[in-house]
Amino acid sequence: MSAESASAIQRSQVDLVDFVDWSGVECLNQNSSHSLPNALKQGYREDDGLNLESDADEQLLIYIPFTQVVKLYSVVVQGPEEEGPKTVKLFSNKEHMGFSNVNDFPPSDTAILSLDNLKGKPVGLKYVKFQNVRSLTIFIEDNQSGSDITKVQKIALFGTTVETTDMKGLKKIEDH
Amino acid sequence: MVLEATMICIDNSEWMRNGDYNPSRFQAQADAVNLICGAKTQSNPENTVGVLTIAGKGVRVLVTPTSDLGKILACMHGLEIGGEMNLAAGIQVAQLALKHRQNKKQQQRIIVFAGSPIKHDKKALEMIGRKLKKNSVALDIVDFGEDDDGKAEKLEALLASVNNNDTSHIVHVPPGPNALSDVLISTPIFTGDSEGGSGFAAAAAAAAAGGVSGFEFGVDPNLDPELALALRVSMEEERARQEAAAKKAAEEAAKHEKGEEQPSSSQDATMTESASVTASEADNKRNDITDEENALLQQALAMSMDDPASSHELRDTDMSDTAADDPDLTLALQLSVQDSAKDSGSQTDMSKLLADQSFVSSILASLPGVDPNDPSVKDLLASMQSQSEPQEKKDEDEPKEEK
Repeated sequence: MSAESASAIQRSQVDLVDFVDWSGVECLNQNSSHSLPNALKQGYREDDGLNLESDADEQLLIYIPFTQVVKLYSVVVQGPEEEGPKTVKLFSNKEHMGFSNVNDFPPSDTAILSLDNLKGKPVGLKYVKFQNVRSLTIFIEDNQSGSDITKVQKIALFGTTVETTDMKGLKKIEDH
Repeated sequence: MVLEATMICIDNSEWMRNGDYNPSRFQAQADAVNLICGAKTQSNPENTVGVLTIAGKGVRVLVTPTSDLGKILACMHGLEIGGEMNLAAGIQVAQLALKHRQNKKQQQRIIVFAGSPIKHDKKALEMIGRKLKKNSVALDIVDFGEDDDGKAEKLEALLASVNNNDTSHIVHVPPGPNALSDVLISTPIFTGDSEGGSGFAAAAAAAAAGGVSGFEFGVDPNLDPELALALRVSMEEERARQEAAAKKAAEEAAKHEKGEEQPSSSQDATMTESASVTASEADNKRNDITDEENALLQQALAMSMDDPASSHELRDTDMSDTAADDPDLTLALQLSVQDSAKDSGSQTDMSKLLADQSFVSSILASLPGVDPNDPSVKDLLASMQSQSEPQEKKDEDEPKEEK
């Protein structure tokens, strides 16, 4: 399973950060000085000093709309060992969720992050559930150590877009 | 102009029958609510406001968030007073009502009028506050009416747990001759965060302040807000200038009677330095120096410089130094010169600096954003202390060059 997801990264995968619709990005319960762009935006997320931190308690609810329809293959969530996220639930195409109704729907996928994942190993997702994603909601339910603050250093989404397919990427597969 | 959905929680408990606010607590509250609704809907036409009552038989939503001011005002009629206030339930229902707002782009805000004693404990309120913060709901609290022990504390604790970057506020209104709505008009609850105040609020304030026409300066802020604002600003500037001049003149007289002290005088020397620094800073902000004014000032300076007394020469150097910078400063300096002309000629350099310092401190006080007691300002002054002596000599050279 991990081998498949590792190769999936190479196979015509694009970092979907370019297709994020920044005007609609929201994050509930974030600490205003450690906000979502620290973890999501290119450049900020490479800096380990800049984190996304939770505020009132350890849960975070991140809503990411895309500029076009995408297919999601895998996700990388990086964070510190202690306060990094543990249970991460992903919902596709559910808008404006709140903490109160986040448990009303079954998530499209759930991931329990291990320490390897926190170091940067991608988490493979149930591909069939993420074929037609207009927006992604990431619900971080708790963190590794159970502390009051969850810290996230980097969130990267890997997948392909539906309208445009990278022809060069396809050729690479045939070479293999 | 923030796009906001607001839920107002009205306290209609038995405690609202009390008459310590004129005409009764409930009436005062209703007036305040009407004003707030008007202000919110005016500041942004897409804002919505809803109203619910938190006492009586139970929490009841009178109107869900809507931008229709008439509907909101109509629902305030025929409200019955009774029961006990249930703050926790009220806030939670308000949060739910906001969650189901039609326009999800609106910021969420709850305004609570807390007029009766609070039976919840601090912990429960803090939990509610944290939940509000988690869902990015701002909370404004109007603490009025009953003042039992711990009510103010509990409300402050609630505010602290909700507050995120100063978007939430609390106002304590003690009973008194001022109407509740008048007190609220000047608070951030009405004016919004760091806004100058909507046109509605300005008109309401002007009407409340009195005046037969109902508007200050005879200009309707609604019809011509920029003109009204310009008039108001210039009036305040003039008032501040006059106050500074008057204060300085009064301090002058007091200081000359007291005599000088060495440590304070050295501080005064540094204050003079900071005066010219801050004066030039202020000048950059105020660019209303006309040629006419300059010419008149030069004339006045020339007249004052003809005075043979040595003490006056040195003061004139200071004046000419600042003449190019700020005509207002020089005008005030001139006044001080005329005042001290009556004093004996035994003035030393230090006393001159003292005179300047009193004027300087009044200038500093009138400047917005500059606090003479600020440690950083004091440090700046201390660091410039050593430069004060050579600066005096420089001043003497300068007027000779200018002439």
